[in-house]
Amino acid sequence: MNEVLITATATVTGLGPDLDTTWRRLLAGETAVRPIRRFDVGRYPAGNASWIEGLESRGDRSLLFPILERLLDGFDPLPKGCRLVTATTKGCIDTFERVRKGLTGDVADIPVSGPLTWLASRLGLDDPGVNINCACASSTMAVARAAAMIGSGRADAVLVVCMDLLSEFVFSGFSSLQALDPAGCRPFDRNRNGLSLGEGGAALLMMSAETARGKGIRGIGSVVGWGAANDATHVTAPARDGCGLIQAVRRAIAKASIGPDDIAAISAHGTGTVYNDSMESTAFEAVFGSRPIPLNSIKGAIGHTLGAAGGIEVAAGLRSLADRTLPPTAGFREPMEKCVFSVSPFPQPIGGGHLLSTNSGFGGINAALILKGNPE
Amino acid sequence: MTGSVVAGIGWVTSRGPGRGREAREFSMTAGPIPPVTREDVFPEPNLRFGRLPHYSRVGLAAIAFALRDAGMEHWESKRPTGIVASTRTGCLATDIEYYNTVLPEGGGLPSPNLFSCTLPTCFLGEASIQFGLTGPTLIASDPAEDALGGVRMGLENLSWGECDIMLAGHIDLPAGPAIPGILPPLAGGLFMVLENARDSAAGGYGTLDLSEGGAVRHNGIAISGLNELVRACLAFLPAGGTRSVSSLPASRPA
Repeated sequence: MNEVLITATATVTGLGPDLDTTWRRLLAGETAVRPIRRFDVGRYPAGNASWIEGLESRGDRSLLFPILERLLDGFDPLPKGCRLVTATTKGCIDTFERVRKGLTGDVADIPVSGPLTWLASRLGLDDPGVNINCACASSTMAVARAAAMIGSGRADAVLVVCMDLLSEFVFSGFSSLQALDPAGCRPFDRNRNGLSLGEGGAALLMMSAETARGKGIRGIGSVVGWGAANDATHVTAPARDGCGLIQAVRRAIAKASIGPDDIAAISAHGTGTVYNDSMESTAFEAVFGSRPIPLNSIKGAIGHTLGAAGGIEVAAGLRSLADRTLPPTAGFREPMEKCVFSVSPFPQPIGGGHLLSTNSGFGGINAALILKGNPE
Repeated sequence: MTGSVVAGIGWVTSRGPGRGREAREFSMTAGPIPPVTREDVFPEPNLRFGRLPHYSRVGLAAIAFALRDAGMEHWESKRPTGIVASTRTGCLATDIEYYNTVLPEGGGLPSPNLFSCTLPTCFLGEASIQFGLTGPTLIASDPAEDALGGVRMGLENLSWGECDIMLAGHIDLPAGPAIPGILPPLAGGLFMVLENARDSAAGGYGTLDLSEGGAVRHNGIAISGLNELVRACLAFLPAGGTRSVSSLPASRPA
């Protein structure tokens, strides 16, 4: 199997317009979760989310496009024949809302093919691309698919673009499920009470080691393992025993040809809901035993960015491996019961070269990636 | 790459539901899909089915028919089978239905049940629960007009060893008058049960593989669209035929 490198990363989050800013503020333990100004939240019990400052649409176009412009501005040139894989759960959902309210909007943007076509054209790619939708595990699955494409030799290079917007459509839905924490999410905290939504994007350029070497590119790190499994238990709630996540992580470890003891840190899904965080803790303990591996969630800082979450977490995970530091879990104060892992409101040192990044989503899907740093 | 056997086919189109071994014709076209009832799909009462919106019912029904056609509907323990489907419009029809519950009351009475179906993958979760499937599940939004993206990705998953059996297909519904101008060229749901071929004796509806360029091939012949693929499969299996799938028992837990 070909070695799969990640050679360039970019992020846009509520904490900042680039990865350096987001990283600096993550390490400082800051949060971008704050009162929403994009739509009226007066009728909802919660009113906070992480949103991107200064997004402006052109005419009646979706706010997704300025996020994509920010991501791609100054991004590395793409190799010839580069393939495109995107991840979004709701795409141009703001355009959908406008049209349903009787306002003007480009209807062609509403299906996911809208932003996909825009991206392929903007990047000058021959490949029209494909969007992966796996609920909150969308971008983790997109990275896994890109890795499999490169690993198997089906592609030499793949650009993965992950994106989702904060919208009333999604906010109202999570509110109706009573899944939003009015105080802001507190992943893995004893008093956690729900998630905070966010918006953002990530771009990850992946290529085979051979292609990278031919271009004199060293790479930031590599994707050495991936796995996915459905827990086949409930559509909106995780399996209490973590059976799907356990399978996904074990498959990723097997693909990476390493052992559980080689995992030095975990970037968890960590939404801050009672059941998700408990399920993750159970699953990780089943795989890793009681070893107190450093574990974090960045959703207390940037909110749950849905289809963008896994991509942003990969970019942050690679930076974690490079700096040998796991960012704080914003919102965390008191450890939840029965969690053997090391969660902290402060940065934690990483003592090894492999990081596990996981996401789980509606429909019972669980996905896991294993990232390997590229030591200087 | 190694080929994969088509062990079963099921669908819901504008002409209603069907499955390969009971129907000798297939046509997926544009246009509305008639309602799918629980009685159309499951002989026994099914509490979950009645709560699902139309998009999810179409998808779940097509999967049920495909598994039934392959003799794999019944199960005792969960099995590592994956599901992948391509789509152009996803669950836009469900999005419209849900957002109608948000608009009238200014966000006061949105339906949690409908919201949980506003991801195009949610019916895959329903199918996983109903049939005990624990492989990877994903929806691929693919602008290609051939509607073969799901089958292509299913074949890739099998060749990469992600699992040994994949349900792969396509699903689309017209958005209707609420958002005019969005009309997928093919409407309905179709799934195939694909299994890694373990010997040279092709069974079921024949063998699929991918060319170097990524074209879907049926028994070595390149296929240009979903309708052509299904017709080629049906032509391979004699009417009412029992061409065996070499490695596939009629019903089995994994």
